[in-house]
Amino acid sequence: MMEFDGEFTSDHPRDDLWNYFTDPAILADCAPGCDEITMESPGELSATITVGVGSVKPTFDVDMTVTRADAPAILEMEVGGDASRNSFEAVTEMCLVEDGDGTTATWEARTNVAGLIASMGQRALGSVAARIVNNFFEDLEAKADEGVPAESKLEAKPEAEASIEN
Amino acid sequence: MKPAAFQYHQPSSVTEATDLLAEHEHDAELMAGNQSLGIVMANRLATPEHIVDINGVDELDYVDVATERVTIGALTSHRTIETSAALADALPMFPAAAEQIAGPSVRNLGTLGGSVGEADPAGNYPAVLTALDGDLHVASADGERTVAASEYFIAYMFSDLAEDELITGVSVDREPFPAERTGMAFLEQKPAAQTWPTISAAAVIRIDDPDADAPVVEEARLALANAADVPLRVEDAEAAVEGESLVEAPLASAADAASEAAEPGEEMHADAEYKEELAGEYTRRSLETAYERAVDTTDTTTP
Repeated sequence: MMEFDGEFTSDHPRDDLWNYFTDPAILADCAPGCDEITMESPGELSATITVGVGSVKPTFDVDMTVTRADAPAILEMEVGGDASRNSFEAVTEMCLVEDGDGTTATWEARTNVAGLIASMGQRALGSVAARIVNNFFEDLEAKADEGVPAESKLEAKPEAEASIEN
Repeated sequence: MKPAAFQYHQPSSVTEATDLLAEHEHDAELMAGNQSLGIVMANRLATPEHIVDINGVDELDYVDVATERVTIGALTSHRTIETSAALADALPMFPAAAEQIAGPSVRNLGTLGGSVGEADPAGNYPAVLTALDGDLHVASADGERTVAASEYFIAYMFSDLAEDELITGVSVDREPFPAERTGMAFLEQKPAAQTWPTISAAAVIRIDDPDADAPVVEEARLALANAADVPLRVEDAEAAVEGESLVEAPLASAADAASEAAEPGEEMHADAEYKEELAGEYTRRSLETAYERAVDTTDTTTP
């Protein structure tokens, strides 16, 4: 299992930011390599996401289950992705903390990867993950800066618990 | 095997190429010299739906050695860089690195932009640009931007280049490298002549006064290829020789610093421990060679 984490600061108040993080349309626009996100239910999303390492660009069919949504502070998801010759499962948690007029977001992910991407190793995958997450936060911050309307649509799936095999 | 089916595009300008990338994003792959992409397509690790072949974008094939800066277009072949007399005078590390890439057929077709775009940490130009503090120039349908080599390489074959962006060229400031007191070296260790290097070292030495009995190193640059998952600048090795006349002791410290900094992946013919040792040894040799060349330059220019 690999663990990644990071932090991001936003100029926007936590209550506003929460709406952006829980609006599937915003997530689809900001997630790098994401073609579409479908909301199966308020607690379940499916998406296709392409992650490229060089010219090798597996497209993952991704299922996300919201296991905890304590507005406007904590969002936890269980994520699984399958692509040709690659797969991953992950538990991600994001905490939003008020920081003056803005917000500090801290995130962590525990993940198991298999296939070609697993052969890259923890350090390389860590740099890649940090880059992808930073791009995501930056794009989302830009949406908030522009004042793009966002509506919170996600809530925890009843009785869902996040778990990952070690 | 043969590649999966794809649609083939031949733009003739940067604008046409970036418009195609904007339209197809991650379904499209840029093709320049096709000395790496064709292989991963043939074994179907890569199955792009669209190939944007930029060989017709003639505006990207140039070497411009100006007083302040050297700029090289992305579509310039290794062969052109290898044989450029202007580059050999201004930044001899470029031709030295180019002439050691694979064999002649690869060098005739392979390009600078292709190598930098692939961002293989074993590649020659990534180490050169890291050592020389070069800039990459990038275009997309949204405009142009410049990114420093030190910011560009993020992980193994993973760079700051977005899906809709095209590298148009690279540039290096000449101010830190006055030819009359600067020496450069690019040394590779390879198991066979035309293969990938096990370790490469790119070194620059600028000395204070070539006429002194024991010229002192004003500035050193040292970058390693294939010693980590990105081209590895070793600032501790640079610090070990700066302010020193280059004798055995500072070179040994620099070599130790490079071995320490290296985090190489294991290969079939080279385990990590061996590569760390090589990183140190090639650091020592390349700095020593660069120093000798910095001192020598003046011997040929002063009567």
